[in-house]
Amino acid sequence: MTQFIIKLLDYKWLTMVIIIAISAFFILEMKENTRMETNLDKYMPHDHPAFIYSDSAESWFGIQDGIIIAIENKNGIYNTETLDTLKKLTKRFQKFDEIQKSDVTSLYTADNIVGTEDGMDVKAFFKRVPKTADKLDNLQNNVRNNEMIFGRLVSTDETVTVIIAEIGDDVFTQKFYNEILETAEASETDDIKIYVAGRPIVEGTMALLGPADMKKMVPIVILIIFVVLFITLRSFKGTLITLGVVFFSTIWTFGLMAITGIPVYAVSTMIPVMLIAIGVADGIHLYSHLQVFINHFPNATRRQATIDMIKHMWKPVAMTSVTTAVGFISLLTSQVYPVKYFGLFTAFGVMMAMVFSLVFLPAAIMLFGLPKAKPVNLEEDKEGHSHSKLANNFASWIIKYKYVSILGSALIVVASLIGMQEIWINSSFLEKFEKESDIVQTDKFINEHFGGTSTLNLILDANGTKDAFKQPEVLRLVDKMQKDVNGQLQVVGNTFSLADYINRMNKVMNADKEEFNTIPDSKEMIAQYLLLYEMSGDPENLNKVVDYNYEKANITFQLKSDNSKAMDATLAIIHNYEDDFKKLGITLNYAGSGYKGLVFTDLILEGQIMSLVLSLILIIVLISAMFKNIKIGFIASVPIILTAMISFGIMGFLGIPLNTTTALLSSIAIGIGIDYAVHFLEQYRTNAANTDDKMVAAQKTMAHSGRAIIYNAIVVIAGFLVLMFSVFPPNRELGALVSLNMFTSLIGTLTIMMVLLYVSNVYFKKKTK
Amino acid sequence: MKTTTKLIALAIIMVFGFSAKAQITANEIVEKVYNLPTGEDVTSTLNMTLTNKSGQTRVRKIQQYFKNFGDVEKSIMFFMTPADIKNTSFMNWSYDSDKSDDQWIYLPALKKVKRISSDSKSDYFMGSDFTYDDLGDRKLDADVHKLLREETIDGHACYVVESVSKDEDYMYSKTITWIRKDIFVGMKKEFYDEDSELLKVLTIKKVEKIEGFWVITHSEMKNVQKNHKTTIKLSNIKINTGVSASKFSERMMTRGI
Repeated sequence: MTQFIIKLLDYKWLTMVIIIAISAFFILEMKENTRMETNLDKYMPHDHPAFIYSDSAESWFGIQDGIIIAIENKNGIYNTETLDTLKKLTKRFQKFDEIQKSDVTSLYTADNIVGTEDGMDVKAFFKRVPKTADKLDNLQNNVRNNEMIFGRLVSTDETVTVIIAEIGDDVFTQKFYNEILETAEASETDDIKIYVAGRPIVEGTMALLGPADMKKMVPIVILIIFVVLFITLRSFKGTLITLGVVFFSTIWTFGLMAITGIPVYAVSTMIPVMLIAIGVADGIHLYSHLQVFINHFPNATRRQATIDMIKHMWKPVAMTSVTTAVGFISLLTSQVYPVKYFGLFTAFGVMMAMVFSLVFLPAAIMLFGLPKAKPVNLEEDKEGHSHSKLANNFASWIIKYKYVSILGSALIVVASLIGMQEIWINSSFLEKFEKESDIVQTDKFINEHFGGTSTLNLILDANGTKDAFKQPEVLRLVDKMQKDVNGQLQVVGNTFSLADYINRMNKVMNADKEEFNTIPDSKEMIAQYLLLYEMSGDPENLNKVVDYNYEKANITFQLKSDNSKAMDATLAIIHNYEDDFKKLGITLNYAGSGYKGLVFTDLILEGQIMSLVLSLILIIVLISAMFKNIKIGFIASVPIILTAMISFGIMGFLGIPLNTTTALLSSIAIGIGIDYAVHFLEQYRTNAANTDDKMVAAQKTMAHSGRAIIYNAIVVIAGFLVLMFSVFPPNRELGALVSLNMFTSLIGTLTIMMVLLYVSNVYFKKKTK
Repeated sequence: MKTTTKLIALAIIMVFGFSAKAQITANEIVEKVYNLPTGEDVTSTLNMTLTNKSGQTRVRKIQQYFKNFGDVEKSIMFFMTPADIKNTSFMNWSYDSDKSDDQWIYLPALKKVKRISSDSKSDYFMGSDFTYDDLGDRKLDADVHKLLREETIDGHACYVVESVSKDEDYMYSKTITWIRKDIFVGMKKEFYDEDSELLKVLTIKKVEKIEGFWVITHSEMKNVQKNHKTTIKLSNIKINTGVSASKFSERMMTRGI
């Protein structure tokens, strides 16, 4: 292998030309074929049972996410100007290509069904906008008396009214979003304010904002890494060449993605994060070795220096890359395709970074020359065995106070375990935004005035028993459950089901007397009310709450928050009714995007924990095999286990929830952490072979690998801390956690791992005997 | 010269006059359809099948009576199946004047006749894809009619007439009707919504001559936007049997069939 790589040095020009040509080809491919996948629905595993059921339920009942357009007039909405705006906006939204006309609901489209002395009256609230005070008062009274409208389409303080436009999963685009905002803004006046909210808006904004923010931040990250790398390497050429490794591996990875037609998902934006970390690591370790060599032999030729570097370093570079890649391959066990692709392509990128480090980097050194030598002063007392005084002191100090490291690690493990108890999973989209951002404020405003911007759909299924939902006992139980959930939970603002229609019809047919706002006793009565509703109201409305054969029903819970705690609390109360429903032959299922988000997040985490454990086992086995020593495998795993634990522990203490981004970071932490460990271990093994003194090996390793590891960590941490200034909170979390992980891996490797290595006596047993 | 001019003028007049006779106008066609004789009273059994987009169906059997009182048309219908709505009855009085329809419903479980008042003729009939308006006759001068072309469907030569609503707020911006040339019965009708998009298609599957009257006995209305359809089949049709005027009362509604 060594010979092969050295042989390649003879073809340095050819190597360069080939790499640049292939990269150019990939860049062209990327321009042609790269597409971003911002539609969150495409991320979902549609063959999962929960998703299959939810998707079919969505088609049975036409369950869709709604865009909410709220019209506020602080002086009250019952005036000609506000109602005219409502009518015009309703009509405008009905005309959008992306929106089905019948999916737009507002006070203008709603039916008012009221009981009279001798019968029933079905009327639109208004067709022509009322102009006289009389007519406006009349409208106000009609709304107040209709509990299916009051508090749902008009706020109870009568200053806000909403238009709800339901849209399909795949119609949201930047253009559509802009058009909605423009339409809304154009209707604003001094008195009338218009707010736009709802899950499609939140999802859409997030899908657009996250990558847009990344695009802005990445150049700054690269600039900072460039500067810090230059300071550590003290070589402009070295910095450029190292970043060249990162650049080419990123191009090849995304180029391959473009060629295979796999879209760039939001999680894929983390691939460069990993490639920066590994590319910089390889570069620093190689240059670090090179620097030590030319410092000792200032007169060495380019070829001599490069060959020495390859001889000593190709193994650790290959070992770190292979272990890291294997760690990422374990993500293939995930059920979520974007995560699978993330694992696969990161592994590919890491392997490419290895190839470029061993082929491009030496070729570039041959072409552009060596860094300047800083001759070692052999006279100075280094207080130890390596050329660096600082490294000698640090290594002996750590080993002298080894129990500090051991005890400290134990304490950290305990503290992390406590912190991890506090960890919670959050599938909320809204909580990814700043509290002061428009989108969060608008959502808060609408939640203050209405039932809630988030929905959970409970699907009751009588498993083929026709007319089950005409049975009074079934509807009574539904009604009871709705009132229970609504009464117990602040966060649930509204509930809606077939029972509401029956209650309303019973009241209306009994001269609007409140005591008849109940489910009647006979099945026939319910069937006849339903027929009457079909004949007089819009039968489409019923299709949203019950299926054609009355064997499945959809109950909608409106929540004032999309976070997982709110959803879980609601599910817990519903769960209490499971047995009662079972006795009636009815099973409970769930649907809707909120619920799918919850399942999706659980799936990601479940898969993540699985693949973490798997990658840990694979890495231990691989390292044990590489070093032909099982003890080394376990010692190497200590810093990464600590890193993962601290990461989760701190998230628990700080209340940072686990979500798709933060969960995937643990894979990156392991990938980076194992790099540090492998470089250190390989160096230690080499040094141990030349000495009988454990301290000599430790100090030499510290001076060489230790220094490189520290430089590596500083460069990457500095770069990613820049993300802390991002405007998009998930990107800030990413920056903070990558930096934290780098830092703990660094400390773990140089302290507890070295101590364990020292006390375990590996590589010294035979000699001490 | 003078004679020539006169001759030409005459020829022109003759051509125009002749073509006016042979080339029937759209208004005349629609008028003929409007004035097609129906019986003074009709009794029939109606089988209505509603089919939703998933292919699920609801089937209802209704016994119905109709009588023309001149300025008012009265109809009464009794649901026979399904069992849970048996004997639910519905009465509709439709007036020639602009007065909106009077409607009553009797729910046997409630044991009360209730008046239903509704301000819109766009209400769907019994949850079907037909509105009350689709079932009744629309006033001739409410639309501007235009003969588009002639076409043959199912072996019948038809006039194709477009009718554009004069009232902009009307639920259909326009309709296009295929009318059989021989008997002036509509065979197909397309309904366009307020945004001029195709909303529904009515297809006449069977027309029978009963007691000397042309009666549509099998028709299908499909809402193409909602992918929902309604099939109506009439059977046991009896015309002009002298249905009693007292049949159309609240008291009769409570009696059942």
